[in-house]
Amino acid sequence: MEFEDRRQLFHAAVGLVAIAILLAFGRDGAMAAVFLVLVAGTLMINFRLLGVRIPVVYWLEQNFERKDVPRSMPGWGSACYAAGALLAITFLADPNWIAAAILILALGDSISTMVGKRFGKTVLPYNRKKSLEGTLGFFFVSLLSWHFVGPLAIPLALVAAAAETIPGVEDNLAVPVACVAFFLVLA
Amino acid sequence: MDVITATAASVNEPLLRTIGLLLDDSMTYGLVLLGLLLVGEQRQGKLAKIMLTVALALLLAIGLKNTIADQRPCIGQEGCPDDFAFPSLHATTAFTLMIAFLNKRSYIVYFAFALFVCFTRLNLGMHDFQDIAGALPVAVLSYYAVDAVWRIKEGKDGV
Repeated sequence: MEFEDRRQLFHAAVGLVAIAILLAFGRDGAMAAVFLVLVAGTLMINFRLLGVRIPVVYWLEQNFERKDVPRSMPGWGSACYAAGALLAITFLADPNWIAAAILILALGDSISTMVGKRFGKTVLPYNRKKSLEGTLGFFFVSLLSWHFVGPLAIPLALVAAAAETIPGVEDNLAVPVACVAFFLVLA
Repeated sequence: MDVITATAASVNEPLLRTIGLLLDDSMTYGLVLLGLLLVGEQRQGKLAKIMLTVALALLLAIGLKNTIADQRPCIGQEGCPDDFAFPSLHATTAFTLMIAFLNKRSYIVYFAFALFVCFTRLNLGMHDFQDIAGALPVAVLSYYAVDAVWRIKEGKDGV
């Protein structure tokens, strides 16, 4: 399996685990778990920056961290991912809304990258790093949130797919912010 | 009440409550934050960036507080602030400071301070755990936004 595919599958799996925790232990359980992961994660990032080698962190970095992206802070993308999930859990009250937002965050980004890399031909005019095919992949996989929110999944998937194409913005923050804003406006 | 809030609120240690009440005062807390910032960072550019981040986080949190209008768990009790609960301003600013020092050796101090501030808010009954947890993504978003603008200003790429 290629590095990027492995990375995206891991990204999706982590989100699905968060949804499983939400469904099994409720909103409070998921909130505590994601909060703990994020707080501990920042500590790991700091240790890594100070040159302390923690085996689990080192393994994650070797297997799932992009090497071609210039970053002064390794693991920052993962921290944003956890922060995005925590944003959904804390700002939304309905577990179905939370699950829908995390599902889109987990699967949308992964599928859009995988589809875009394989089939991406039509570059978006306002974001040269994204393709129409990848964005369509994001939209269609986001429709799986129908399971949690019914027909609301259609406008939600549209809003999230649009947010994912905003140039120069971290997807892991833009997508959950868009989903949370969508539900808050709705509420 | 969730387990974390209940556990923190059940700790009955007079010294911790006294420190918590001291930090509850906005002026005292602001001075402590400023002191921690000035001790940890001497570079003018970085100081300005952190101050801007804290200011943005505060504005964002105040806006969200008033929009969401979630009542405090201590409502009706003596000493309970008359503003809304979610997200905690104390936790938002402490987490913002913590994240701003993420790449520094002194991070552990800001990390411990942020968690201690969160504990005092729960211990005093001013907030529940949701108010604290909601403050963390607000801090991350604020840091991300200011960092992105700063990097464009300095012509750098990526966090």
